[in-house]
Amino acid sequence: MNCTRRNFLIGGSTTLFLSGYFPKISLASMQKKNLIIISLRGGMDGLTAVPVIGDKRLKKLRKKLILEDVLNLNSDFGLHPKLEIFHKLWQKNQAAFVHATNIPYTGRSHFDGQNLMETGAHIPYKEKTGWLGRGLLASNIIGKGLAISLPMPLLLRGVPQNNNFFPSPDFVETKLIDQIYNEFKGEHNELIKSTLDTIRQRPLSMQIATDSDDRKKLALEAAKQLKDQSGPRVAVFDLDGFDTHAAQGGVDGAHADELEEVNKIVTILHENLGQAFDNTLILTLTEFGRTIKQNGGYGTEHGYGSAILMAGGLLKKSQVYTDWPGLKKKELFEGRDLNSTIDSRAVYNSAMSICFNQDPEFLRKEVFWGDELPDLSQELFKI
Amino acid sequence: MSLNFYRRVAFGLSPNEKPDKDPLNWAINQLDTIPGLLWPGTIPTEKDLRKKYGEWVYGDREVLRKKFKNDKHAYRKAKDELRIKTGERYFELNEHAIRHFQTKYSKQPVFERFWLFWGNHFAISEKDFLAEFSTGPYQREIIRPNMVKTFEEMVQSVTTSWCMIHHLDNSESFGPNSKKGMEWGETINENHARELLELHTVSPNAGYTQEDVIQLAYIMTGWVHKWDRKNLETGDIWFDQEMHQKGDKVVLGVKYKNDAKRELAKVIHDLATHPICIKFVSTKLCRHFISDEPTDEMINPVIDAWNKSNGSLIEIHKAVITQAYKYNEITHKFHPPEIWLMQLSRMFDLNIPLSFEKMNYTFKIKPNNRQRQLSWILREIGHSPYRAKQPNGWSDLEVDWVSPELLLRRFWFASVELPMLVKSGNRSHGFILSCLKNNFEDHENMASLIDNFRFGTSDYDLGQKYGVICNLPGVLKI
Repeated sequence: MNCTRRNFLIGGSTTLFLSGYFPKISLASMQKKNLIIISLRGGMDGLTAVPVIGDKRLKKLRKKLILEDVLNLNSDFGLHPKLEIFHKLWQKNQAAFVHATNIPYTGRSHFDGQNLMETGAHIPYKEKTGWLGRGLLASNIIGKGLAISLPMPLLLRGVPQNNNFFPSPDFVETKLIDQIYNEFKGEHNELIKSTLDTIRQRPLSMQIATDSDDRKKLALEAAKQLKDQSGPRVAVFDLDGFDTHAAQGGVDGAHADELEEVNKIVTILHENLGQAFDNTLILTLTEFGRTIKQNGGYGTEHGYGSAILMAGGLLKKSQVYTDWPGLKKKELFEGRDLNSTIDSRAVYNSAMSICFNQDPEFLRKEVFWGDELPDLSQELFKI
Repeated sequence: MSLNFYRRVAFGLSPNEKPDKDPLNWAINQLDTIPGLLWPGTIPTEKDLRKKYGEWVYGDREVLRKKFKNDKHAYRKAKDELRIKTGERYFELNEHAIRHFQTKYSKQPVFERFWLFWGNHFAISEKDFLAEFSTGPYQREIIRPNMVKTFEEMVQSVTTSWCMIHHLDNSESFGPNSKKGMEWGETINENHARELLELHTVSPNAGYTQEDVIQLAYIMTGWVHKWDRKNLETGDIWFDQEMHQKGDKVVLGVKYKNDAKRELAKVIHDLATHPICIKFVSTKLCRHFISDEPTDEMINPVIDAWNKSNGSLIEIHKAVITQAYKYNEITHKFHPPEIWLMQLSRMFDLNIPLSFEKMNYTFKIKPNNRQRQLSWILREIGHSPYRAKQPNGWSDLEVDWVSPELLLRRFWFASVELPMLVKSGNRSHGFILSCLKNNFEDHENMASLIDNFRFGTSDYDLGQKYGVICNLPGVLKI
């Protein structure tokens, strides 16, 4: 793995030179690879997103949350009808799912769980950086993270010079930025000055005010940036509202509304990344799944095992990758939750190794303290 | 001494304040007493708001979720009505008004800066409905009265407050060998114990182990809210002997004999007077007021004052201010968005917060846009004070606050929103110049940057002027 050299070649103005002397294949492998993480806060219900239609127990335990018109994946699993884009991409080997997976966290607190899904650690609040930030730093990829949020998410912390995009409600005049910029002098103003440099170098589209509650517009801009060869290599989206204790519903309930949001973002990314979609991986991240059994409010409680939704051209094939634990009472975690048989961090570690051109062993040590995380690149991704 | 000292340790000078002959004395004299809260509107008690919190969670969880289990639309509608009735969307706005009214008008602004500091040191992060109902009153009723006591007393109050116990889950922590722990097969939740060590007192520098965390969690078992069917988790804090882990405990090498509820006070005493705790908290204070990277020379006098006074916060605060004064000319400190906003509000006498009459709430319709304005601004500039994402609160480091969007948000606020907050009598160019003169050594240079607009008093003109002067290096940074 010669990452430094690769970066050097991309960075230099040597494209013409290269096209003359290198076979096509090396050009393709030089293409920038994008890793996009969509955080699903509140606990995404893997069994609503990717229901196990092959197991009658699910219907029995969730009489009021039954999904009709499930999209067909294979004989065992279906797909929530609101996740249309994943179904479409599935036909082209560009969507896949990891099921019965979670971070190794079995407490049921959002608060702790969301901290751990971002730090990738075992003890809440112990680590102050995110696994994605550490992965970028270990891979020497600096200044290539883009957060679609106002605060820098914990997930991206640990690597300097990240960009973020979450425009203010109104336009800020360029000449104002220029005037302020000129006043920043001296060593102690370096950080602000260099950030102002980033702002001034932004493409026009990123300078235009938009409604930051409009996720469509944000996703559109992110796609534009990611498509650019010299643009960001990592983007992080944040969605919340998956904590459906009540009226979770089936095809049209509260959980479905949230899945629809995921579907929207992925649809926009797919449409607007164009060819860059072939060099992209989109993965979801959540703190835990939800109980199998519906509660008194026809919702579900905090659980354990969930699913990862994946899309992008870097996937190996369409598949539901799982070591299915079963839904019999004794097969459930603590008799109530879908178990987790795959440490989801193994999926993220493998995805980083693909997108950052790094040895998964190296990343596992640098990012996850050498925790035992099998390399799933062969199974899940194009290598 | 440069005028920026008034922003380093306070919020700058308002148009009717003049620099003091002896700025250090001016600052130090503000720390002996607790200034009363000036907000003329409603200031509800923590207990009253906790009751509202109880009505809200009970109404949602126990009533609406069951009643509307088949109908998400009806459920959402009923939930919105309950929000209005319980003030779920209102009380945080009122708390922001109380807070900003205080930092704007207090005669002891230096004290108020320490108030903000301690509220953030013992942070309540965004969890459940704490921001909506509890964090504001917690800072008023738990943090504030302790600021003229000792650090140890402050830790004792915070650790047994309903807000912190709920925030860090101590009510869910059972001694595994306690009566209830054995009956229900439950065990400890370490959150509160870990944060008491890591964030509130000794910090990881003390080299505590996982076993220390567990042992401290044992000591803390039993300190829980009193649960009942109607109030759910919003009952008062008490010590439940039936949840308390029996037997002796050892934390950081010190043995605590089996002594029920008295164990906690003993261990807090040892933690709050631990040399590493003193150094950790003194460093944090210096970081807040002096520099992102305070040196030993800056910190040591604070430690000395701490030791000499047995942790008297008054003496510690005075030492910090003395150091901030000493290093004022040779250090630079970046201020997070909320403090920046408070300073602009005081220096330019902006029209925030909204008048108390207009903040009154009927519990019949949702809060209006004007009532939401201050809280909306705080959110948009990225610093909604009760909504830190982690229990370690908001960062004091420049590097955490300088991202492209966070800077742009300040430019946006100063050039677009701020003009609408300028009082009608303050729109003249002369007013801006006098405020600059009152607060900045290089006011002439600043004035020259906005001279092009000297005849303009429209919102647009004011935006051009404030957009620049509020974001100059010497304003973003002291």
